[in-house]
Amino acid sequence: MRTSTAARTGQYAALLAYLVFLAFPFVWLISIAFKPPRELASLHPTWIPENPTLDNFRQAFDEQPLLQAGLNSLLAALGAAVIAVLIATPMAYVMARRRGRLAKAATGWVVVSQAFPFVLLIIPLFLVLKNLGLINSVPGLVMVYVVWSLPFALWMLAGYVRAVPRELEEAAAVDGAGRLRTLVSVTAPLLAPGIVATALFAFITAWNEFFFALVLLKTPEKQTLPVILTHFIGAGGVADLGPLAAAAFLATLPSLVVFALIQRRITGGMLAGAVKS
Amino acid sequence: MTLVTEPRRPARRAPGPDAPRGAPDHGAWFLVLPALIPILVLSVGPLLYGILLAFTDAQSGRTEPTRWIGTLNFQDLLHDTLFWESFRIGLVWAVGVTVPQFLLALGLALLLNQNLRMRWLARALAIIPWAMPEVVVGIMWRLVYNTDAGILNETLRDLGLGGGHDWLSGLGTALPAVIVVGVWAGMPQTTVALLAGLQNTPRELHEAAAVDGAGAWRRFRTVTWPALRPVALAITALNLIWNFNSFALVYVLTNGGPGGRTRLPMLFAYEEAFRYGQFGYAAAMGCVMVALISILLAVFLVGRLRGEAKGGDKA
Amino acid sequence: MTRTSTRIVTLLACAVLLLAGCSDGGGGADDGRITLRFQSLAWQDESVKANKELVREWNATHPDVRVEYVQGSWDSVHDQLLTSFEGGEAPDIIHDASDDLADFAYGGYLADLTELLPARLKSDIPHHSWETVTFGDGVYGVPFLQEPRVLIANATLLEKSGVRIPTPEHPWSWAEFRQVAKELSGDGTYGVAWPLKEPVSATLNLSLSTGGKLFHRGTDGKVTVRFEEGDQVVPRTVHDQVDTDRSASPTTLGSGGSDTLPGFFAGKYAMVPLGFSYRQQIEQQAPEGFDWQVLPAPAGADGLAQGVSPQTLSVAEDSPHKEEAAAFVDFLLQPDNMVRLALGDWMLPTGKQALKDPALHTTEHGWATGTALAAHLRSAPAQSVRGYAEWKDKVATPALQEYYSGAIGMDELRHRLEEDGNLVLARYQR
Repeated sequence: MRTSTAARTGQYAALLAYLVFLAFPFVWLISIAFKPPRELASLHPTWIPENPTLDNFRQAFDEQPLLQAGLNSLLAALGAAVIAVLIATPMAYVMARRRGRLAKAATGWVVVSQAFPFVLLIIPLFLVLKNLGLINSVPGLVMVYVVWSLPFALWMLAGYVRAVPRELEEAAAVDGAGRLRTLVSVTAPLLAPGIVATALFAFITAWNEFFFALVLLKTPEKQTLPVILTHFIGAGGVADLGPLAAAAFLATLPSLVVFALIQRRITGGMLAGAVKS
Repeated sequence: MTLVTEPRRPARRAPGPDAPRGAPDHGAWFLVLPALIPILVLSVGPLLYGILLAFTDAQSGRTEPTRWIGTLNFQDLLHDTLFWESFRIGLVWAVGVTVPQFLLALGLALLLNQNLRMRWLARALAIIPWAMPEVVVGIMWRLVYNTDAGILNETLRDLGLGGGHDWLSGLGTALPAVIVVGVWAGMPQTTVALLAGLQNTPRELHEAAAVDGAGAWRRFRTVTWPALRPVALAITALNLIWNFNSFALVYVLTNGGPGGRTRLPMLFAYEEAFRYGQFGYAAAMGCVMVALISILLAVFLVGRLRGEAKGGDKA
Repeated sequence: MTRTSTRIVTLLACAVLLLAGCSDGGGGADDGRITLRFQSLAWQDESVKANKELVREWNATHPDVRVEYVQGSWDSVHDQLLTSFEGGEAPDIIHDASDDLADFAYGGYLADLTELLPARLKSDIPHHSWETVTFGDGVYGVPFLQEPRVLIANATLLEKSGVRIPTPEHPWSWAEFRQVAKELSGDGTYGVAWPLKEPVSATLNLSLSTGGKLFHRGTDGKVTVRFEEGDQVVPRTVHDQVDTDRSASPTTLGSGGSDTLPGFFAGKYAMVPLGFSYRQQIEQQAPEGFDWQVLPAPAGADGLAQGVSPQTLSVAEDSPHKEEAAAFVDFLLQPDNMVRLALGDWMLPTGKQALKDPALHTTEHGWATGTALAAHLRSAPAQSVRGYAEWKDKVATPALQEYYSGAIGMDELRHRLEEDGNLVLARYQR
């Protein structure tokens, strides 16, 4: 490609600006997580802690039940991811392979559900779950997360199903395999990578979710990490910055790691068929 | 982002024969049921219930029975200047986030589509805002904006631009400050979607145009943009809706303050329901929001179909 | 690849089942013992420690009634309690503040304590404190800690300026306070920094000193807002300090109390009006050699009168063990224990016995000044008005913030507090 040096320089400068913009808040968070209180109260904060300390992490664990919250988050996210994928895959198959009224309605719901303001959903949901005795319970939250992650799970999985050559299924059918057997023994294995990617994405979404958890979980021993994090902010919005930053940093790690694992697949999935990058 | 997977769908064989060929949909029902039941119980059902609630005076407490009050909630809502102010803020926020988000993401996507050296790094960094819990994003930016201990004021002081701005609690600065965070948080997702779209544009056309001596801007307008348009439209419309419905960021950053300057409609309705216990009134707000968002969605769908028709002609 | 993927899914599924099994195992065993959950909002280290110690002592002496300490947070307590009550998951013993109780009391979620509390406790806490927790005919909480708003001053700057140092016997008037703030200003220093992130309670409570009432109950029992002369003195003083005299920092108007401390330590602000309990943070964070002192808030036509919303302990109506819960409250509020809680939170106890404790009368950290103000504390206005919370958040907070920052004038402020305000209140008083 013929691109002038000046243009190239400009492009690199722009890229650098993007990098700084994207990275600096996270760097700052890490910096604060390792700063002792005196440095935090200083009127002239520095990027690099002068006397780095791990005290904030210790204090964070002392102040709030982070381990329990992490376990709750893990349970909610795993539960939501696995169940969502289990029930979404068959339906996605129908959506991809048929064009009956059912498939149309499902597709319609997927699109329309993007427009729901959660608030219209959460009030009745709260009252429904209350009658089921599922307020302040992680299984109750899992149910909500499952339904909440279904639209995108359906959409993604339907895309993966379409990518599976129909001839394979037809061949199996000719061999006399029943529909269910075809599905389980032919289609499912081919879908597996897509299913894993979808599950992990659902996992992250649930791990990060805040609104439903805030409304539905009422006691600290049931609450998930994002809700517990807001507890570091005390009366009148006073925050204990050090432990807050430390805990926030820790809460981010799992989703960063999982995301790094599937990033290629998610973005790659979208880019498939495009010119090699 | 989900809509974006669509363009890569391999060319379908002629549609039509499958529906009649399969047995009448018994099997399909069996496959659909596990997902359908939760959807009906926990999504469609509550939605209808919510609409009914909007016509009652349901509130927290057990001393007063719930009654049907017709459209009284909606009449109150009509006179509730605070709600409409919140709605206006919501629109400013949604547009204010979506537009810069799109432009910045487009810029980044175009850069990443070039053969630049630090591309991998940009990709790696771009996942940070995407993968992060919104609550952490909010906390992080609180630390950045902090009046005394924040890096933003310190940097401004170092540059001699004056410091001591009270970003998140100043009446004039709070909304812009929060919008910047919204842009930051949603940019990567938009970038990836646009990048996917870009890599679908036929390179040969690009090269042909370059040979013809078309400048970069003209190449963008005549070759890149037409191919990108459907993706751009889809992701923008979705962003608009998602942003309008966003909650966690603002809850953590400002909790609606100062003086309600950042009280987005979602936050407003949340407070009405779960702080003041006015369930019926809050449900009415939800209905109004749904109605208006549906209009947005309809506009988007019409536009999108048109865009796709055009894209189809090109290919 | 496909096989690994299948394996991962299977593994995940197993993990979920395992975790689900673990987490459900821990339910309360039924061996005749009662377990009460006590949700405390203590957040400063010392006071969390004091609360936890008291719970431990109770558990050591009451093997049949175990109390479990649950950590709550002031920031979200109202939302959290409301949804807990609605969802039937409320703790048995609830720590809150009196101005937050009205909706819960009227909603039927809090137990009426009139019959449950021992006479000792009823007579130990003065009548005007009980007023803060009386809604209708019932008493729905026990007020136990309170704090006057005081001026915390940089002693060095104060001395240098040579102004008269006010005492609880001879406080400044509001006019005098404005004058002093002017004298203390200049040279990169503001005389005062008002942290008014929560402007409503600060303004209303201080306005009691100038005869402010704001909420007027009509003959039909309905409450309306009227913003009159007595209500306007304090807002006008703050407004003029910020916008006319430039003796108050404009940037702290949206800040919480703690946010002003770095500037206070750096000598940027000579005085900061803060709750009495902020002394703890100041003591902890002040640089060495920093000299500070506690001054009473200015006085008006009604003297040092000040509104206050004490911290409270309530019992949930749904609790199956109300008597035991009340007994625990009684234990927490024994005079000695009340002193420990007060010292832990650096606040004043409401109990007359506790207030006599010598530890609360030392001049160190300004304890004596605060204790001398205890007799002037009244029930905060309007806390028993239904809809007050929404009025405060949606109408009054923005209106006052805009007034203080100079965006609107006194007329517009009155218009909003009254017109918009009465619309909100009307929705609650149909």
